[in-house]
Amino acid sequence: MKTLSGLATLGVAVALGIASPAVAKTLVYCSEGSPEGFNPAFYTAGTTFDASGRTLYNRLTEFERGTTKVIPGLAESWSVSEDGTVYTFKLRKGVKWHGSKTFTAKRDFNADDVIFTFERAWKPEHPFHKVSAGKYPYFDDMGMPKLLKSIKKTDDYTVVFELNAPEAPFIANMAMDFASIQSAEYAEAMMKAGTPEKLDLEPIGTGPFYLVSYQKDAVIRYKAHPNYWGGKAKIDDLVFSITPDASVRWAKVKAGECHVMPYPNPADLEAMRKDPSINLMSQEGLNIGYWAFNTEKKPFDDKRVRQAMNYAVNKQAIIDAVYLGAGKLAKNPIPPTIWSYNDDVKDYPYDPAKAKELLAAAGLGSGFETDIWAMPVQRPYNPNAKRMAEMIQADLDKVGVKAKIVTYEWAEYLKRARAGEQQTILLGWTGDNGDPDNFLNVLLGCDAAKTSSSRWCFKPYDDLMQQARKTSDVNKRTELYKKAQVIFKEEAPWFTVAHSIQYKPVRKEVIDFKLHPFGGHLFYGVDIKE
Amino acid sequence: MATDAGAIPAAAHSAAPPHPLVEFWRYFRQNKGALAGLGVIIFLGLVAIFADVLAPHPPAEQFRDALLRPPVWQDGGTWRFVLGTDDIGRDILSRLTHGARVSMAVGVFVIALGLLVGVVLGLTAGFFSGPVDIAIMRAMDTLLAMPALLLAIVVVAILGPGLFNAMLAVSVVVLPGFARLTRAAVLTELSKDYVTAARMTGARLPRLMFITVLPNCLAPLIVQATLGFSTAILDTAALGFLGLGAQPPTPEWGTMLSDALQFIQRAWWVVTLPGAAILLTVLAFNLMGDGLRDALDPKLKR
Repeated sequence: MKTLSGLATLGVAVALGIASPAVAKTLVYCSEGSPEGFNPAFYTAGTTFDASGRTLYNRLTEFERGTTKVIPGLAESWSVSEDGTVYTFKLRKGVKWHGSKTFTAKRDFNADDVIFTFERAWKPEHPFHKVSAGKYPYFDDMGMPKLLKSIKKTDDYTVVFELNAPEAPFIANMAMDFASIQSAEYAEAMMKAGTPEKLDLEPIGTGPFYLVSYQKDAVIRYKAHPNYWGGKAKIDDLVFSITPDASVRWAKVKAGECHVMPYPNPADLEAMRKDPSINLMSQEGLNIGYWAFNTEKKPFDDKRVRQAMNYAVNKQAIIDAVYLGAGKLAKNPIPPTIWSYNDDVKDYPYDPAKAKELLAAAGLGSGFETDIWAMPVQRPYNPNAKRMAEMIQADLDKVGVKAKIVTYEWAEYLKRARAGEQQTILLGWTGDNGDPDNFLNVLLGCDAAKTSSSRWCFKPYDDLMQQARKTSDVNKRTELYKKAQVIFKEEAPWFTVAHSIQYKPVRKEVIDFKLHPFGGHLFYGVDIKE
Repeated sequence: MATDAGAIPAAAHSAAPPHPLVEFWRYFRQNKGALAGLGVIIFLGLVAIFADVLAPHPPAEQFRDALLRPPVWQDGGTWRFVLGTDDIGRDILSRLTHGARVSMAVGVFVIALGLLVGVVLGLTAGFFSGPVDIAIMRAMDTLLAMPALLLAIVVVAILGPGLFNAMLAVSVVVLPGFARLTRAAVLTELSKDYVTAARMTGARLPRLMFITVLPNCLAPLIVQATLGFSTAILDTAALGFLGLGAQPPTPEWGTMLSDALQFIQRAWWVVTLPGAAILLTVLAFNLMGDGLRDALDPKLKR
């Protein structure tokens, strides 16, 4: 009897011993795909930003979680000169870097890191400019190379940005993922070791989490950064369980294997609403799903053909079948929640007869062959691109256009699209600073035309963009952007499909998860009930 | 007189061995599973041939007023769409019917190509021993060493996705089976007297290969071809499922299955029916293949 109870005590002790490390709070996020890499400056996909910029890094300014408000990040405060061309940032002191097996930071974050980060993307002669990918699409699309005049430090904790022209959304731009601050000290150490590309492969940041391991298409593991300047995250471990299939993601959330998942199948929303252990959050998304025509390629260099495409496709049917009601018809390239949305713009109605007429006028009365690129993953703006492509294919068939559906693995898809291999492509955009410029100029301006999906550069439109950037008067800017939307519709480089409503099923035990208006997933500040 | 005349040939008939086909049928008939398989295959063959007549709608037509309609026996189902519609309003029955045509065509093409190339390689290897034999058989071993689907994916990755390329890829996968089987049969046949006799009478090599020896190797090849048919259909469906096979809007069963996956919890018919079609077809071919083997293999004859 005695030995038995002794054994029992031992059993309890063992059980307790096992139980105590389990107190570590782990949040599992079922993400929709593998990141393209871990340096957000090289990429443009939200999937990548979730896994890199938003977990590992910080920026000079940050967006407050769940809002579009800009708050101090690595810069504690900033001031702007009268003419709007000189920005002075006062940097935060005592910000610690992550450590790794190969690198331990000897100093805190300071002005050198800021200068390193921006000069790397900006100056082709910078020793790190060509390291790894060597391309900075976001930086370029935002027109930064032309905008920046100089970046100087006045002391270790003050950085002065001088611009060539006033840039209204500059402070918000600094909060975007591409502007994530890298460590100059780490870069130097890696350069000395002869492995400069490690800077991007084994990321060291100042962010709330540090990277523990990554297995492509399987899992990313993070741990909370214990010395994070904003205080250690409430969760200890963060796991991205990469699950490309939305039904499987939902099954995992239902089973409690994941706590949060993005991009549910519209088909599953009903069941999610009914599930008592799930909190289905929703928000009108700051996004646009579109079908872009490569204006560099025949026959889409002809405006009439692009307009014909707009007439030929039944948009409402797509909303009903693909979005299952979780989307709003789009007529402008910006969502109605953004200021300067032009509600007077008239969308092209569904009119195959008119489409045929226009095609005939363009000398393509007998139709032509083309391709439709459909992305392989769900995006907030497009829950099922392949289905959408099939519907477009069927509609085009009715006006005599034979379309072939093409798809590639997601990173490859984006890479080829940037190179302009497509004729027409399904893609979309989720805004990341709440400014119309972020849609109208970043996607359609001439700065972006080298890499954008429509490769569209139209002088009268671009002039409006440039004017609007140079003024900070919101009324004037609204006026210019409204005009731009009219030109856009007339020139029709895109078939605007929908603005989707973003849904996110979150398990009830997750505390304080907030939907991000820009569609990202942020886990700093999120807690979990045990 | 009349009875006598009738009796003599009858006696002679019973003494003579039955025609091989009759004998084959007698054995085959005993296997109920194989008969059922044959029935299903004949049915599918007819469906494939008459798909245009049988299907109530064109397979790619999208009825946008009828998305995700359930089958007729469920609430909300109509006779217009007997097996329901998919998420963009295409009639499932029509797509399955036309899918049968695609699958049968895939099977026939893959087996024809695999058989043709495999038999030629096998005969060559069997007749010319030495370096030729070694070269061919080691090449076949290399193909066999790789998992079938992986090999098919590699071939499609090189050729680019599409139904035709998927069929070529699966042909490559089934090829070594035919080659090895032919070679083995040829080696046993070559030592037999009738081959020597043919040689003595001056038959030249092509005649020896294709007219003297090949017909005697056919039995195992027929069995392998039937079983290979199911492999071909299954592998092509798998490639379609992975997005490497048939491209939309071709109504291919594997592609239908993968496209509908997201509706598994909401609209079972979109996922289940193509899956059931694949299952049924593959099962039928396997059952028939087993029956054929039992009937054709002299060692298994009772």
